[in-house]
Amino acid sequence: MPATIKAYGMLKTYLHGQNEASVEHGLTIRQALAVLGIPSELVAFVIVNDEQKSKDYCLQDADIVKVMAVMGGG
Amino acid sequence: MRLYVDSTKCSGCRACLVACSLNLFQENNPKKAALNLIPHFPAPGVYEMKVCTQCGDCAAVCPTEAIKLNERGAYYVDFDECNLCEACVPECPEDVMYVRAELANAAWKCNLCGDCVAVCGTGALWIAD
Amino acid sequence: MKGYAGSILRVNLATGQISKEPTPAEMARDYLGGRGFGIYQLFKEVPKGADALGPQNKLIISTGPLSGMLIPGGGKCDWTTKSPLTGGYASASMGGHFTAEMKYAGYDSIILEGVSPKPVYLLIEDGKVQLLDAAHLWGKGAFDVEVEFKHKYGEEYQIAAIGPGGENLVLYACINHDFGRQAGRGGVGAVMGSKKLKAIVVRGTKSVEVADPEGYRKAGMALYKACKDAEGLAEWTRYGTTVVTSWCDEVGALPTRNFSAGSFEGGEKIYGQTMRKEIVITDKGCFGCPCPCGKYSHMKRYGTYVEGPEYETIGLMGSNLGIADIQAVGEANRLADDLGVDTISAGNCVAWAMECYEKGILTKEDTDGLELKFGNIEATFALIKNIAHRQGKLGNLLADGVKRAAEKIGKGSERFAIQVKGMEQSGYATHSATSMLLAYMTCDVGAHHNRAWAITYDLQVGRSLVVPEKVARVIWLQNFRPMFDVLGACRLQWVELSIDRDLYVPAMEAITGIHRTWEDMEAVGNRIWNLTRLFWMRENEDFGRSWDQPSPRFFEEPPKTGATAGQITSYEDVQRLLDMYYEQRGWDNNGLPTPATLEKLNLAQIAS
Repeated sequence: MPATIKAYGMLKTYLHGQNEASVEHGLTIRQALAVLGIPSELVAFVIVNDEQKSKDYCLQDADIVKVMAVMGGG
Repeated sequence: MRLYVDSTKCSGCRACLVACSLNLFQENNPKKAALNLIPHFPAPGVYEMKVCTQCGDCAAVCPTEAIKLNERGAYYVDFDECNLCEACVPECPEDVMYVRAELANAAWKCNLCGDCVAVCGTGALWIAD
Repeated sequence: MKGYAGSILRVNLATGQISKEPTPAEMARDYLGGRGFGIYQLFKEVPKGADALGPQNKLIISTGPLSGMLIPGGGKCDWTTKSPLTGGYASASMGGHFTAEMKYAGYDSIILEGVSPKPVYLLIEDGKVQLLDAAHLWGKGAFDVEVEFKHKYGEEYQIAAIGPGGENLVLYACINHDFGRQAGRGGVGAVMGSKKLKAIVVRGTKSVEVADPEGYRKAGMALYKACKDAEGLAEWTRYGTTVVTSWCDEVGALPTRNFSAGSFEGGEKIYGQTMRKEIVITDKGCFGCPCPCGKYSHMKRYGTYVEGPEYETIGLMGSNLGIADIQAVGEANRLADDLGVDTISAGNCVAWAMECYEKGILTKEDTDGLELKFGNIEATFALIKNIAHRQGKLGNLLADGVKRAAEKIGKGSERFAIQVKGMEQSGYATHSATSMLLAYMTCDVGAHHNRAWAITYDLQVGRSLVVPEKVARVIWLQNFRPMFDVLGACRLQWVELSIDRDLYVPAMEAITGIHRTWEDMEAVGNRIWNLTRLFWMRENEDFGRSWDQPSPRFFEEPPKTGATAGQITSYEDVQRLLDMYYEQRGWDNNGLPTPATLEKLNLAQIAS
């Protein structure tokens, strides 16, 4: 089963207005972001199944991944 | 129906207390709320929250029968009939039956309005059977 | 005046005189509250040239119209004074439960003036206000003081206290509250210490009236609903501000070894996810907050507890000291809080000293025997204690802040003293992030991030670009974001959860009875920004462009490692940023507001 990437806030613009997209498992988050055209450096944090993970995390079967930006900041 | 709390999820923010006083008294005053927040800091660093279980022990001892059931099946204080005798206070197993004459002319308690649940951001409070 | 407590409490520490006066309606109209009340009263009441640690300076504590109300994050309290660290304007924002208590006790501002002949604390129980003897508390840590008052007076009392750092006039001493919240920056704790005021203990049992109760309830509930429905509520709440640590590391914004780089090879050991797993035990919220960023931690190795560390402290006391150990960062945080020194400034000072030591500018003789290399945890703890107690040669030197310390030591160490206007830089490395660099250069208290924050914006539009749009963005943020500190609420609901800021408009109207759009409030923000600039000018004869310069590190020394390796902003670009900034602000080429600008902002009278 593919993994689901859910983009939040300003990152949705890179999914052409969609909230989520599917990517093959086995990719790292960083690779998945590149496939989807989401600039990795704008992704402030990645939550996989409710835990924060590094962008080097390798996507597993049916993972739910939330990617978020920080626009307002510190 | 009654209010439940999971103290481990409580962050001690007191939003519930403001919402409660606003509903009970139409006032902003967390000192006039019917939930009891007890912080334990600096150690062990946890919050303890006590809420009304609607057990009815307060109503059972009220000499003026001021504590009545509302349409939600919750006990509430009819302010007009309370004489501030304080008989209800020691009966409450959760310490959430309040009489503070300097703050209000009647006893108060949770009437299960649900506003505390509406403002709690951490899911520490909920209403169920 | 609806939405306000209605009174200002004035306490003269020298004479013991305590008085109350009505909150002026014009002040509420033009400055709204919080930080606005602070600078307006500071400008009017503290005479030009007052010694920041002398009897003429005042410490002004202010709530805002949203403080203590049914508003997400209505728990912010402003502490304004003339800064002993910078000689200019200081305003520190403190979360927790103090501001609500103070407002329920009946006060929009508390003005502390004069110097007490002996240590005292201020006890406020609604209208009953007393100065009481604090001799037995002098010398104690802030946590002990708070424990003692909670036992003595009860859980319903809120406490703000200084530690030894404030007593010893460490120029960046902070004020502690609620076991882990601080009014941190600019040395507000030193001013409190100079007045011999150990603590303020307050309980309020009054209600605050609003203009339109039904509208208020509706608007407040709508704000809470927006927060609870927000994407990312659970994630932000789980990690708080530490959620961005890994990203700051990735993009080269994480201060590393005295800001010599923006990425840290040991970063993973201090990331938010590591911290959550290893030390966090409870989420700890400020008043009314549905998305508590406060994380309460237990460091098993040390057997201690701390609220935090939050992102800034992780940056300044972790990576910036070369410390890749979250328990050690937590313990350094606890020491600084308890002893009452600002973690951001203290982290900078220790990092600067470590760099001096590694470069041979300071030797063991100068460090009182400490092997002050980056990464030395025990030396860090020892130095924090020395600073707070002004103990030893180095402790005493660093207690005056990094700018003064570098001026005294010289030997090129001024080039890597990371500060603006004398205030040490907070947790974002700015070698290649021109908006953020400008934000630090022009921030009205010194190098602090909370007025404008623009790292993501820099990355979006091109991090090294120098264009008017970037400058405009910084100015807009500077006018808008600090309005949360004016209103007495937290900005993080907007920052983190991206809730629609227009939801605050009906809430403000229902509370105060006055309709104000965000444009109206930004105009107030602009007026306040310019008034703080006037204060700097009044207190410092040579004030101008030279005060807005960043640390040379950000235009001289590109990082050797990490995401920003080899990147730097040129000195010419730094000056171009200022040129554009001054022009857009309506200031002259030296950074001083023009008469026309002051006229437009209704500040001409106060300026003369």
